[in-house]
Amino acid sequence: MWEGFLLGLATGVTCLAYCSPVLLPFLLGEAQDVRRSAGLTLQFLGGRLLGYLLFAVAAWWAGQLWRQSGLMREAAMGGIYVLLALLLLAYGRGFKSEACAGQMVKKKTAAWPATLGLLTGLNLCPPFLLAFAAAAQTQTLRDSLLYFFSFFIGTSLYFLPLPLLGFCRRRAELKTIGRLAALVAAVFYLYRGILMMAGGLIP
Amino acid sequence: MTGIASETKQNEMGLSWGKAALLSLPMLLLTALLLLHGHNLKDPLQAIAAGITYLFANYIFFKMLRSGRTHRYRSIFFVAASVLFVVSFLANMFEMRGTMELSTANILDGEAPLCPLVIPALLIPAALTQTIIFPGSMFAGYAGVATMIVLWIGFSLAVGRGWCSWICFFGGMDEGMASLCKKPSIRSFDQRWTYLPWAVLLAVVLLSAATLSPAYCEWLCPFKTVTEYPAVNSLETGLQAVIFVSLFLGLVIYLPLKSGKRTQCGLFCPFGAFQSLFNRCNSFAVRIDRARCVDCKICLKECPTFSLNEASLAAGETRSSCTKCGRCIDRCPRGAISYHIKGTEFLRHPKTARLLFLYPAFIFMAVIGGGCIFGGLLRLLKLLTTGSMIG
Ligand code: SF4
Ligand code: SF4
Repeated sequence: MWEGFLLGLATGVTCLAYCSPVLLPFLLGEAQDVRRSAGLTLQFLGGRLLGYLLFAVAAWWAGQLWRQSGLMREAAMGGIYVLLALLLLAYGRGFKSEACAGQMVKKKTAAWPATLGLLTGLNLCPPFLLAFAAAAQTQTLRDSLLYFFSFFIGTSLYFLPLPLLGFCRRRAELKTIGRLAALVAAVFYLYRGILMMAGGLIP
Repeated sequence: MTGIASETKQNEMGLSWGKAALLSLPMLLLTALLLLHGHNLKDPLQAIAAGITYLFANYIFFKMLRSGRTHRYRSIFFVAASVLFVVSFLANMFEMRGTMELSTANILDGEAPLCPLVIPALLIPAALTQTIIFPGSMFAGYAGVATMIVLWIGFSLAVGRGWCSWICFFGGMDEGMASLCKKPSIRSFDQRWTYLPWAVLLAVVLLSAATLSPAYCEWLCPFKTVTEYPAVNSLETGLQAVIFVSLFLGLVIYLPLKSGKRTQCGLFCPFGAFQSLFNRCNSFAVRIDRARCVDCKICLKECPTFSLNEASLAAGETRSSCTKCGRCIDRCPRGAISYHIKGTEFLRHPKTARLLFLYPAFIFMAVIGGGCIFGGLLRLLKLLTTGSMIG
């Protein structure tokens, strides 16, 4: 349990770096105040936790398949990237909208932060792979779940300052920048996803 | 009316022959040190290239002082440097590697010259992991990482985003294309697109930190089309090549030709957005005298980087993206716009403020742009005399 937490603490900055291309544009786009930013960050983290736990279960039951077939893993990860890209595209597309971003999110996209979190949670970033390797050596499914949970807690500490973005002034500009950045990140993930699904050569 | 007012303005900022010549003397000496030093002047081709560069730079500076026009003469030097940069860079690449392609072996050998556009994306990975994610050499070779970073810091502190109109050899391509547009067919852009450079900056900085690789270089840089690009040998590199060429054709050729604006610099370049931050922490600014301004909005139409809008005009300021190119200053029929030194009384000594800005800006332009002009001229002279640019 502690081992997972400490690994999370040690690698949390890298984790933040992996998640921030998705989370930051979203937060900038929606940062109306600190409370709202905190709410969105929590939803994102909730989705991410779900992703971790799902991965712990999936890794336990289907671990052999994942570990043995590099190609299949590539294709599955590619699929996740493409999904992530499509969500970001759908979000960023509204950058020209005059409507209050908060209302839009409430009406149409209540589940977005959580879904984005879930998809980044399923991302095979280096810290995640480390946790995966360690969790795979645990004896029971419960231990594996606990390991991933404590790893999640350790990495999540680095996300705590993000709601402070709600203090930012010039919100209209930030909203536009956040949504446009989501579009740019979407293009990147789409490009990577397609290449990975096509068995591309991305290391 | 406009022509007469413009003349008045020119006389206001222009200097007499004697004064202009006297004030050009320090530049003559400085550029002699900076442009003539380090070349083998016994080689006739090098001597001719260095001589032409030196005379050209000083002619431009003198004309700037004498005429009072900044943009017109800056632009000639800036665009020439940019075109000759491509000539000299490509000739260098062919001489070193025999191709514009950058292979994995070249990258591993640290042969990729550092392009300033990558600098913002280096900072977070360097802070987090103490590694420079750009695969170039630190000191040696053509544009080593450390050399470029030192130059960039010096210039940024001196003139902020002035970098984009006084030093950036890529910006010169955009400006050159935009200057060919005599009658724009695209007359306006949605203001919100002017935030795209910030969005690209945010995305590439974060993605570079996430992937520990220079994301902008790898999949977004339009200028790969005219410099060096990864060897096309896979689906990935093929896709990258398509992205680079499309962005170049769209942002550096088509849109500037159709709109007369620097669309790559004003609507896309993340480095430009990053440089805007330095506009906040350096001494020079461009300001508008509201008492003189008659709200004709010519400056809004003329600014090539979308750095003036109704709100900034009303406030008597430019937006933070101002590249200090001087175009609005040259074109304002009322002479209402001028360079300003922050912390001093606005308009008390506009000529002095302009001069104090021109010296550092021009020295940096002469060093970097002059190097490009010298290198390009040398290659062209080689071509004329030997039939080949390389060897
Ligand atoms: S500052 Fe701009 S709007 Fe005012 S007079 Fe000059 S060109 Fe016209
Ligand atoms: S505001 Fe004036 S000086 Fe600044 S970029 Fe625009 S035209 Fe150039």
